[in-house]
Amino acid sequence: MNVYIPILTLAGLAALFACFSVTMATFTGPKRYNRAKYDAYECGIEPTPQPVGGGKFPVKYYLTAMMFIIFDIEIVFLYPWAVYFDSLGLFGFLAMLLFLVNLTIPYVYEWRRGGLDWD
Amino acid sequence: MDPSAYIILSAILFTIGAIGVLLRRNAIVVFMSVEMMLNAANLAFVTFARMHGNLEGQVIAFFVMIVAAAEVVVGLAIIMTIFRTRRSVSIDDPSLMRN
Amino acid sequence: MTPSAPVAFPDIQWLQLAPIIVVLGAAAIEVLVEAFAPRTSRRSIQIGLTFAALIVAFAIIVINAGTFQLVVAGSAAVDGPALFLQGAVVLTALLVALLMMERKVDPSGDAFAARASAMPGSEDERQFTARGYLQTEIWPLFLFCTGGMMLFLSANDLLLMFIGLEIMSLPLYLLAGMARRRRLLSQEAAMKYFLLGAFSSAFFLYGAALIYGFAGTVSFGGIADAVVGQSQMSGLLLGGIVLLCVGMFFKVAAVPFHEWAPDVYQGSPTPVTAYMAAGVKVAAFGAFLRLMYVAFGGEAWEWRPAFWVVAILTFFVGAMIGLAQSDIKRMLAYSSIAHAGFLLLGVMAVTPDSLSASMFYLLTYAIATVGAFGIVMLIRDDSGETTSLDAWRGLGRTHPLLATAFTIFLLSFAGIPLTAGFIGKFTLFASSAAAGEGWLVLLAVIASAIAAFFYLRVVVIMFFSDPVGSGPSVATPSWATQTTIVVALIVTVVLGLFPQAVLNIADHADVFVR
Repeated sequence: MNVYIPILTLAGLAALFACFSVTMATFTGPKRYNRAKYDAYECGIEPTPQPVGGGKFPVKYYLTAMMFIIFDIEIVFLYPWAVYFDSLGLFGFLAMLLFLVNLTIPYVYEWRRGGLDWD
Repeated sequence: MDPSAYIILSAILFTIGAIGVLLRRNAIVVFMSVEMMLNAANLAFVTFARMHGNLEGQVIAFFVMIVAAAEVVVGLAIIMTIFRTRRSVSIDDPSLMRN
Repeated sequence: MTPSAPVAFPDIQWLQLAPIIVVLGAAAIEVLVEAFAPRTSRRSIQIGLTFAALIVAFAIIVINAGTFQLVVAGSAAVDGPALFLQGAVVLTALLVALLMMERKVDPSGDAFAARASAMPGSEDERQFTARGYLQTEIWPLFLFCTGGMMLFLSANDLLLMFIGLEIMSLPLYLLAGMARRRRLLSQEAAMKYFLLGAFSSAFFLYGAALIYGFAGTVSFGGIADAVVGQSQMSGLLLGGIVLLCVGMFFKVAAVPFHEWAPDVYQGSPTPVTAYMAAGVKVAAFGAFLRLMYVAFGGEAWEWRPAFWVVAILTFFVGAMIGLAQSDIKRMLAYSSIAHAGFLLLGVMAVTPDSLSASMFYLLTYAIATVGAFGIVMLIRDDSGETTSLDAWRGLGRTHPLLATAFTIFLLSFAGIPLTAGFIGKFTLFASSAAAGEGWLVLLAVIASAIAAFFYLRVVVIMFFSDPVGSGPSVATPSWATQTTIVVALIVTVVLGLFPQAVLNIADHADVFVR
């Protein structure tokens, strides 16, 4: 059980901090109305039904999401590699280097073709 | 710990996924069901790796995750193009084909 | 974490792996070309790179001939069947690449959308088309797909096989949705292909998991040892084989997992359809043969009855429903389903003879298929290709050469003597009968007689019926498509008249390394 105590402590601290900041913000923060504050947050699509045959479709969120999926998931190989880095030797290093070079290729493509431009 | 429980769980997940693919009509949901089937396979791989006491299954699980991610990207791209054209992701709607 | 001695630098068989590395490496370079080359020169660089990579890969395959070993710690095999079928895939890819670069038959460009991302019918699309934009991303996608096929059919463990399967399939899903004309149909085909393809790979993967649970390893050699060593049929093994086969049946479009094929063939851009019908079939059957021969060959009597059912259903459904088609691409789809049924005879026989016969059959079928689809590209009206059979009426009178070429491909599909298809079918059926499947061969012969009907029906439509209106309108292709059709024609006829040289090569390559 002892091994879980640090984790539980950390979780408790995090919960305390979250509650504390939210409560403090409600009491001390300034309250000015702004319509943007009440918009759907971060998903980019109005939750209400789309107008028939029209309405803009924010593609960029999907592009970003796809990029995130590619580059985030590939990192899965880096963790085991990092843990065993010492025993993998030169071969492990070169193999990972090659992997990262390969990963850079789609990144460069995306970048040059404007996939990273937000507007 | 009885590993066979995990195998049963993975079989259940796989079945739910397969039924989802066959019954649901929303492309995104169908697609999520496929991902669920892949993850069921991952669970089976990891459990079998433990039962056999070798690491192969765990390594495979990593590779499957990568492949699943690539599949998500390709799939979302295709579903998005269709959605932009038709503003619907029902897989019954596209029915231009006939015999 | 106990630090252990550094992992030694493993021995990597660069030369044996070179064909795959060249193709996939060129694909990666092409992605960089997409990023940096100016728009005007992109297309010519991509085409040059693609052909260079394919030709170099083919040369290395020829140099490697006779290799018989496992590479990368036993995960991949470089042996006779792998090299023969990799060669067939690369040849097919070369012919398909020629179809892909064809720009003369469509007044506005090649067979692919000017910008796949522009909405069909939108102002953007109209402008891109008017400016003559061409989507050059098809070339890297095409090479990735080819590399995936080569990996798929030389994989010697389930993990690498799964990865090869996905590298082959993912680019194809995208290519299927990029047709220039009838884009809604094309996008629909892409979605169908994608959802069903992903569904089938999930089955394959779960099957692989069960086999891993049974054998404790995913390498084919290890599985084979475990299969032979067992005293009674294990549920894990049986379930694993069934699920793996379901995944493979989807890929080769065997009944009852064939429903996607006609729709997807019809909607995809025709060069891509050609590649699906030819390349994917070669790769998938190559992998299927290796899987069933090497890993589960010792258990053949257990899974063979299921294959009987699937094979009989496949060639009869393919032949009979093919009869009722009024669209040429759908008809060729059912033809490919029927051929998948015949090829299953080779998979279930598990003898060296049927292996070499299957490989020869795959080669002849693939080349004739690409040629036939090359001709399908040429019959057009204002809205693009007219795949309805009515548009083919009277083709034999207005364009006798073209109609004769198409007839030869159809005769080869039907297995009429003096064509490569006959030799392929004959050796395959003979080897299958020698393996003790005589009654099955009898059924297959009946099915191919039925299939011959619908091939001959097209011949009759072309030569003996009156043209509708002013007759079929046929576009004049550039040298690229002409080369494809002529090469496919020569191969089909020469392999029909003098098959011995290639049959010898296939006979020498009839054992899987393990």
